[in-house]
Amino acid sequence: MTVAIVLLALLGSAWLLAVIEGWMATGRLSPAAPLFNGLAHLGRESIVPRSPDRVFFEAAPVLLLVVAVLGMAVLPLAPDLIIADLGTGALFINAALAYVLVAVIMAGWGPDGAYAMIGGWRFLGQLIAYSMLIVMPITAVAMRAESLVNTAIVGSQSSLWNIVYQPLGFVLFFIAAMALAFRAPFDLPTAEGELGGGVDAEYTGVRLAVLRLARLTLVVTLASATTVFYLGGWHGPLLPPWAWSLIKTLAVAVSMLLVGRYLPRIREADLMRWCWIMGIPLALVNIIIVGLLILVVP
Amino acid sequence: MSSDPAINLTGARQKRYSVLQKLVSRALARNLSCLIVPGPEVALAHGLDVTAAGLRIATTPRDASVLLIVGDLPGKMGDAVAVLYAQMPRPRAILMVGGQTPSTLSGDDISSDLSQEDLTEAVGQLKRALADGAFTDSPEDFDASVMHARIEYVCPMHPEVVEDEPGSCPKCGMDLVAREAGESTPEGGSDHEHHEDHEHHGHEHEHCHDQEHQSHHEHQSHHGHHEHHDGHDQDHGHDHDHNNEHQPEHAPENAGTEYTCPMHPEIVRDEPGSCPKCGMDLVVRESDDHSEHEHSGHDHGEHDHGEHDHGGHDHEGHDHGSSGFMSMIEVTKDLPRSADGLQMDWLEVPFGPVFPGLPGGLKLTLTLDGDGVTEGQAISLVGVTSKGDNVEESEEMDAETFIAYLSAAIPLAPVSYRLLACLAIEQAAGLEDDSANAGARTGALERERIASHLGWLAQLGRQLGFAWLTQRASTLQLQVREANRDSLAALEPALRTLGTRLERTPLLKSRLMGVGILPTESSGLRGPVASAANEGGDAWARLWQRLAEISASLDLIKSGAEPELPVLRDVGDVAGTGEATVDTPRGEARLSLKLERGHVKSYELDTACSHHIGLVPKLVEGQELGDALLAVGSLDLSPWEVTS
Repeated sequence: MTVAIVLLALLGSAWLLAVIEGWMATGRLSPAAPLFNGLAHLGRESIVPRSPDRVFFEAAPVLLLVVAVLGMAVLPLAPDLIIADLGTGALFINAALAYVLVAVIMAGWGPDGAYAMIGGWRFLGQLIAYSMLIVMPITAVAMRAESLVNTAIVGSQSSLWNIVYQPLGFVLFFIAAMALAFRAPFDLPTAEGELGGGVDAEYTGVRLAVLRLARLTLVVTLASATTVFYLGGWHGPLLPPWAWSLIKTLAVAVSMLLVGRYLPRIREADLMRWCWIMGIPLALVNIIIVGLLILVVP
Repeated sequence: MSSDPAINLTGARQKRYSVLQKLVSRALARNLSCLIVPGPEVALAHGLDVTAAGLRIATTPRDASVLLIVGDLPGKMGDAVAVLYAQMPRPRAILMVGGQTPSTLSGDDISSDLSQEDLTEAVGQLKRALADGAFTDSPEDFDASVMHARIEYVCPMHPEVVEDEPGSCPKCGMDLVAREAGESTPEGGSDHEHHEDHEHHGHEHEHCHDQEHQSHHEHQSHHGHHEHHDGHDQDHGHDHDHNNEHQPEHAPENAGTEYTCPMHPEIVRDEPGSCPKCGMDLVVRESDDHSEHEHSGHDHGEHDHGEHDHGGHDHEGHDHGSSGFMSMIEVTKDLPRSADGLQMDWLEVPFGPVFPGLPGGLKLTLTLDGDGVTEGQAISLVGVTSKGDNVEESEEMDAETFIAYLSAAIPLAPVSYRLLACLAIEQAAGLEDDSANAGARTGALERERIASHLGWLAQLGRQLGFAWLTQRASTLQLQVREANRDSLAALEPALRTLGTRLERTPLLKSRLMGVGILPTESSGLRGPVASAANEGGDAWARLWQRLAEISASLDLIKSGAEPELPVLRDVGDVAGTGEATVDTPRGEARLSLKLERGHVKSYELDTACSHHIGLVPKLVEGQELGDALLAVGSLDLSPWEVTS
């Protein structure tokens, strides 16, 4: 039952996100659009490129979807609305999301095309930039909760959300999460103006539908993680806990989509330089501050 | 609702799911995305708002269901269009707006005139046609001649085994690998679009389009503007140029049988035996057939992308099973070394002629070393003819026709070239400067400058994935295009705040600063590129130069006359020579022509873009891919103005 509810919530959020995405692009709010979009994808040919690595090509979109769903499985929507409240939940997210890289590189290698392949390898560079900025802010979050259990992390924010307690960590995590979801301005692997779609470029029909769904789901999962780690999860007045989780998750997800519209794509070298020269020291500072706060404030 | 004459979609898909079919067709019709050829900038320059007409703009053929062709396409683009169409998934359709459908396509599904209303109506018809006929019992094959290539199947281990159909090798049982037959495909004719511009013929044919004929519907071609295989394949040709180390061990010219190791092509023996390096049996090859075998061996053994190229995943066991650990040093030892000292596989990848980050018709070929560009060059497939010498009497154009021809040939700046032709012809006819109309003409020119620079900003937005900029600049461009003085005055605040917005946009400055710096000895610079050369000469400086010109043009229009399209004054059947210069949005253009009996006997055109395109190799060399494309984009090359 919990599994069904969480999956439904995930799908519903992805659908809402697709509606909002379409609204931003066309200026028309059409709730049925994602449905028709999906159907249209089913109606189109799903072309296999000339000499693909068939396993990689077929598996990549599915793997990306599985990864996003796996990540969601350890994130609570409400105190008891969680598929698996693992003792190492915060760590598990990291482990699951590491496979995003695998999926993207597979999608890049699979179709046997220069654009896709460059896109795939670009993401490897991107991982080097963002990965520490996912792990290190989570460390500070876990320090405060004194636990890696995600429900305990939410519990630790009952009086004060982490976005206030450790704003630096929130900013770093938010940026890194966008880079992980390869949304604009971090869409280096897909970069339309540079790689003509990159890793997405060769997918059509059903496969493209899965890939699009996977990318939206990934955004939802990362937004949900941001909610759990920094926005107090289900905490909030009046509304039931699950509603608060969903509202916050959607707000984060929409802001992830919005930011990209108003920014040019970042240069890969700049991303890496800023992440390592500024991001990691800042993440360390965040850990130190949080550590001091824990020691000083009882 | 379906009162239109029935449109038979040539791009319909085989009927399969009859129950869902109706629903899916409706969904398809609601969800039309189009690939614009030559490019969205041309549609905008013609004043077409494709999104408002009900089409989503797709950036790749894979994502498109409608091929939207805007205006007549020069012949060279025909093959590219056919390949693009072949890459689109069915159901698909061709919508031709304001021109003749290229002969490489088997006709359009629907055509309309060059106006927003006609386009909207055509899209409506297309939607109804798709809702009714997206699926058919007997789909038509799309079989353009550009796609023709006979495919044969060879055993990777036994090159003497060549079959017409897929299967397994009678000698070793391995799956046969497809390759394109006839290494000596003549130029043109059945040649491939993506081969037409490079010199390594003969090397790269073998793996292209291999499965094409296995299934007409599914595999007809690969990304025309992507041309991946091409990229990989040319890479081998490239290695030839840059690295002769592969060659010396070849037995020289004596025709006869040689034995070589499939993994180590440098091992060449006169007799059968096993490879001293890996112990595999040597395979036979004809020594006068260097390129092919050299390449296949080369790929499988030494390139990390080797298997990738060949679909060699099918026989991985053979590839690496006996050679054990593949050392990175060994894999890369013969490869050219790039600036950073890393040795990598070099790929020659085409960008264009229809590529989301570049103006349509421009074909950029970059040699990529990972994400870096080692060298590159640009050509135009749509350039205007620079010269007409002693035109045959039958092809002579009268003055009006010539003006119409020139302005239609350059869709991104038609007013400037119309003005240029008018001025040159009037001078040839010996007419005095037309002071009465000069103000109106300047107004039209300046208005086009604003629109053109806005078009460039939209293109910059597309290249940078900066959706807001693309949307804003496109909207403004459509409004400015035919605005009069009053409506321009109303748009002024929006135009002037554009700069402020861009200045405040985070990341933009760091993205553009230092990109596309021209070498100091660059000559032949004109227009905004020349003016920006003094201000740092990078993409950032060019952006500000164009924004400044928008402001300056606004001031000029405000203080000048109502903009009006230049109209040729009556010249009669005169003879004479004339020369004129116009400062087009991309820089100065000169036209000199000779009139006889009121007809243009000969002319010579000199444009800024013809000079600027020559800067591309130096601009891209040693840059990261993204920076290289941005550098090319910042020149605002109009391939239409690159004279040929």
